[in-house]
Amino acid sequence: MRTPFLPSTRREFLRYSASGIGLIAFSRFAPSFLVQSTLAAAPAPEKDRSVLVLVQLAGGNDGLNTLIPFEDADYHRLRPTLALRKTDVLPVGQNQAFHPSMTELQGLVHDGKLAVIQNVGYPNPNRSHFRSTDIWETGSESDQVVSTGWIGRYLDNCCSGAPVGHDPLAVHVGNETPEVFLSQQVHPTFGVNPYLLGRKDRSRNQALLEQLLQQPSTPENDNASFLKATMMDALVTERRVQGILGAYQAGTTYPGTPFAHSLEGVAALIAADLPTRVYFVSLSGFDTHANQANNHRNLLKTLSEGLAAFQKDLEAHKLGERVLTMTFSEFGRRPMENQSQGTDHGTAAPLFVMGSAVKGGLHGEAPKLNLARNQDLTFSTDFRQIYATVLDRWLDCPAEKVLGRSFEPVAFL
Amino acid sequence: MNSPATAPAADEKGSRSTPSAAPASRWDPLPASEWNADAARHLLRRVGWTAKPEDVETALQQGLPATLARLFPAKAIPFPKPKMVAEIEAEEPGMHERIRAAAEPEKRQLRKEMRDRAQQGYQDLTIRWLQFAADPAHSAAEKWVLFLSDVYVVAFEKVHNPALLYQHHAILRERALGAAPALTKAVSRSPAMIDYLDLRESKKQAPNENFARELFELFLLGEGNYTETDIKEAARAFTGYRHRFGEFQFARGQHDPTPKKIFGKTAPYDGDGAIDLAYQQPAAGTFLPGEMLRFYLSEQPVPRNQIAELGRWWQGTHYNLRALLHRIFGSQLFFSPEYRGAMIKSPIQFYLGLVQDLSLDVPPLPRQAVGLLRQMGQMPFNPPNVRGWMGGRSWINSSTLAARRQLVQALFNPINEVNLNADEVMALDAARSEGRSRFTVSPDRVRDFAVASPQDAADRLVRAFLAPAATATYAGPLAKFVAGKSGETSPERVRAALLTLLDSPEYQLS
Repeated sequence: MRTPFLPSTRREFLRYSASGIGLIAFSRFAPSFLVQSTLAAAPAPEKDRSVLVLVQLAGGNDGLNTLIPFEDADYHRLRPTLALRKTDVLPVGQNQAFHPSMTELQGLVHDGKLAVIQNVGYPNPNRSHFRSTDIWETGSESDQVVSTGWIGRYLDNCCSGAPVGHDPLAVHVGNETPEVFLSQQVHPTFGVNPYLLGRKDRSRNQALLEQLLQQPSTPENDNASFLKATMMDALVTERRVQGILGAYQAGTTYPGTPFAHSLEGVAALIAADLPTRVYFVSLSGFDTHANQANNHRNLLKTLSEGLAAFQKDLEAHKLGERVLTMTFSEFGRRPMENQSQGTDHGTAAPLFVMGSAVKGGLHGEAPKLNLARNQDLTFSTDFRQIYATVLDRWLDCPAEKVLGRSFEPVAFL
Repeated sequence: MNSPATAPAADEKGSRSTPSAAPASRWDPLPASEWNADAARHLLRRVGWTAKPEDVETALQQGLPATLARLFPAKAIPFPKPKMVAEIEAEEPGMHERIRAAAEPEKRQLRKEMRDRAQQGYQDLTIRWLQFAADPAHSAAEKWVLFLSDVYVVAFEKVHNPALLYQHHAILRERALGAAPALTKAVSRSPAMIDYLDLRESKKQAPNENFARELFELFLLGEGNYTETDIKEAARAFTGYRHRFGEFQFARGQHDPTPKKIFGKTAPYDGDGAIDLAYQQPAAGTFLPGEMLRFYLSEQPVPRNQIAELGRWWQGTHYNLRALLHRIFGSQLFFSPEYRGAMIKSPIQFYLGLVQDLSLDVPPLPRQAVGLLRQMGQMPFNPPNVRGWMGGRSWINSSTLAARRQLVQALFNPINEVNLNADEVMALDAARSEGRSRFTVSPDRVRDFAVASPQDAADRLVRAFLAPAATATYAGPLAKFVAGKSGETSPERVRAALLTLLDSPEYQLS
C-alpha cells in the first residue's frame, strides 16, 4: 500500500526554501498542513473507491448524427445534405448506428462496455448555451436557478469532513472550474490546467513563485500569511500532480489530441490512488451552425479514439472496474438542418456511459422524428435519471439528497 | 441624541472626542509633507482598481486635496444604458401583454423567452459595466457605486431583469455624492428594490417586513440599534410602494395612513418619514462609515472611538457622502502604515486591476469575464444575498486562487477563437470594430519592462504592480530570475517574471 504522499511533499516544500527561511518562521497559518504532516496516524487515502469521469461535449452535440436512426425516412427527409448514408454508418442496434468515425466506440458497445442512453433531455428545454449548461451542471429544473452543481452537492452530502489541504476530492482538466463542482461547503478541488502542464517554462515559473511565496512581507500582515499558506497548499497539489503525470506509464498509446492527453492525465491520477472521486474533462467545438459535416466528424473521431484509449489504459492498470465515464452536452441540435449545412440549437440527445461495470448497448427510447419544420425532439429520459442512477448505484450517495427529489433509475448500472 | 438640525457646519471636526491618549484627531488631513509616491499608490489602489505609474505621477503633482476632488467630483459620470438593456426595457410591456393574452403552451414558451432574454441582457450589462469601470476616468466613482450596491443590495438572481438592475445602479450613481438620506429615499423607490425586498407585496392589511428590516439592519443602523416594534411599525409606513415596468407608483389604496410609533415617536409617517427618523439615530452616523472602512480600509474594525468621532462629524454634514469620502480618504488614519498593502483584492478589483495594469480591454465574452468572475466568487449585479459579499479572506480558497491564476494565464495567451460559439465570434468582431482589441498581453507591454539591467527590470515590475510594502523583498528574487544564466535581461524571461508576479500572494493584496 502507498503511504500518503502529501505530507512528505509538504515537508519537502518547507525544506526547499532557497532563502533558508521556512514558512514556519513567520506564518501562524502554516499549521493547517504542518499538523497533518506530523500526525503519525494520518489516514491513508481510501483505496478502491469508485471514480466518476465526466466528459463535457461543449457547444451542443448533434445527437441525430451521433446515434443515427439510419432506416428512418424522416431522418433523411429532415437532413437532405447532412444525413449519413446507410452504407457508411456503424450499426449498434435495431435501426440505430454510430457515425462512421466512431469505430472504437462501436467496438466498446460490442464488448458490452459502452451504454448509450437515447434521447436524454429535460422538460421545457432551454436553448441558450449558458442557461442550458447551468441546468445540466446544477441538475435544476429549467425554470429554477441553483447556485451549486450536482457534484458539489454530492461532495457536500457524501464527502464532507475532508480537511482543507487534503488531496483534492474533485479534479477538472481545463482552465475553468466547472459549475458542477460548486458547493455549499469548501472542499479540496483542483484544476489541472492544460497550459500549466508539461511545459518547461511553467515549472521555471513555479520555482519562482515558490521562492516568492517564502519572501517575508514587510510589514508582515495576517492576510499576507493567509494567502501564502493557502497558495502553498495549492502549489503542493500542483507539484504532486505534475510529478504523477511526469512519471506515468500509460498502458496504451493515446492519440495525439489535447482531449486524449487530458484523459491520459486523468488515468495517471486515478492510477496514483488519489482520493479523488470525480474528474471533469471538456471537449469543445460542438456548436456546429455551419458546414457541420467535417467538423462533427473530426469531433466524434476525437471523442471515440480518446475514450477508447482511456478505457484500454484503465484496463491495463486493472482500473476498468473502478471507473465510470459519462458524457454530457448542454443540448442536442435541431433535427432539421439549416440553410448553411449546419444545425441550430435543439433539445434532447444521446449520452454515453462507459466502463467495465456498465450494461452495454442501447437504453431508453429513441426520439420520434415525425416532426414538422423546425420542430424539436421531445426527450424520453430525464438527464437527472442518469445522475440519480450514477449517484445511487455508483457513488453510493442517496440521489434524492443531491437532486432534491427522486428519479427513476435507468438500467445501465 | 445628536440631531442633524443642531449639528455644526460641515468642516468642523468633532473636537469633543473622548479624552483618550489619541492625539488630536486621526481623521485630520494628512500633512502635505507625507503625500509621497507610496501614499499616492495606497490611495489609488484603494479608491480605484490599481495605481499605474503615470497616475501616481499625476496625483503627486496635483496634491491630495485636488486628487480627491478629481476622483470624487460633485457628480459621477453617468454609465450609458447598454443597447440590449434599452431593448429589453422597451419590449417588456408588449411581452407582458402577449404573455397575458396567450394560451397555455404558448404562454410558457413566451415566459421562457423572456427569461432567456433577461439572462442575455444581464451578461451584456455586466460586460458593458466592466468596460465602463475599467476606464481610469470612471474607476473611483464606479468602485464607490459598487460599494453602495454592496450596501443597498439587489441581485439578478431574484430581480431577473437587467433593465431594473441598470436603473438601480443609476439611482445609486446619481445620488452617490450627495446627501445620504436622499439616496436612501430614492432606493426605497427603486423598482429593483421593490421587487428584491418584496415591497410590492406589502399592503395595508398585510405589511411585509422584509424591506423595513433590512433598511434598519443592513442599510442604515446595524443590528441592535432598533427594536422589532420599530420594524413592524416602519413596515406599515412603506406599504403601497409599487412599480410598473420600472416606474415607481404609490398605490394610495394599499398604503396605511394611520399613526405609527417608530423610535419612540408617533405620527402618521410615510416611508420617507421613517427614513428621516432612522437618520436621527446616532447609529446612522457610524453605520455607513463603518461599512466603508471595512470595504476600503481593513477587515479589522477601526477602533470604536474613532468611528464614533467620525460619525458625529458626518451627522454634522447632514450626511454628505462626498464630504465623507474626502474626509476618510484624506485622513491620517487612512494612510497609517499598518493598513498599507494589507487588504485582499476582491475578484472585481483583481480583474479590473489586471486589465488596467496590463493596458487591456475587457473582451465581450461572458464565458471569459463573467465566467471567471463567477469562479473567483463575485458576479457583478448578483451578490449572494442581501448582506452583500463577505469580502476579505472569504475571497480566497484553493479554487478561487486557481481561478485567479487561470485568469492571469488567459490574459497572457491569445483567445482561442476556434472554441468560440457563433455569438461570441460576432461579439468579438463588433468590439474590434469599436476599437477594442487589446484582449491579451502584447509583447510591447512586456518590452516596457525589459529594459536595462535585470535589477532595473525587476524594480520596474515591483513598482508598477505591487503595493509598496512588498517591493523590497520581491525585487531580489525577480532580478535573479530575469538575469537567468546569461545575466542579461531577456523579454521572454521578463514575461515569465511578470506572469509569476501576478500569480504571487502580494499581487492579491492592495
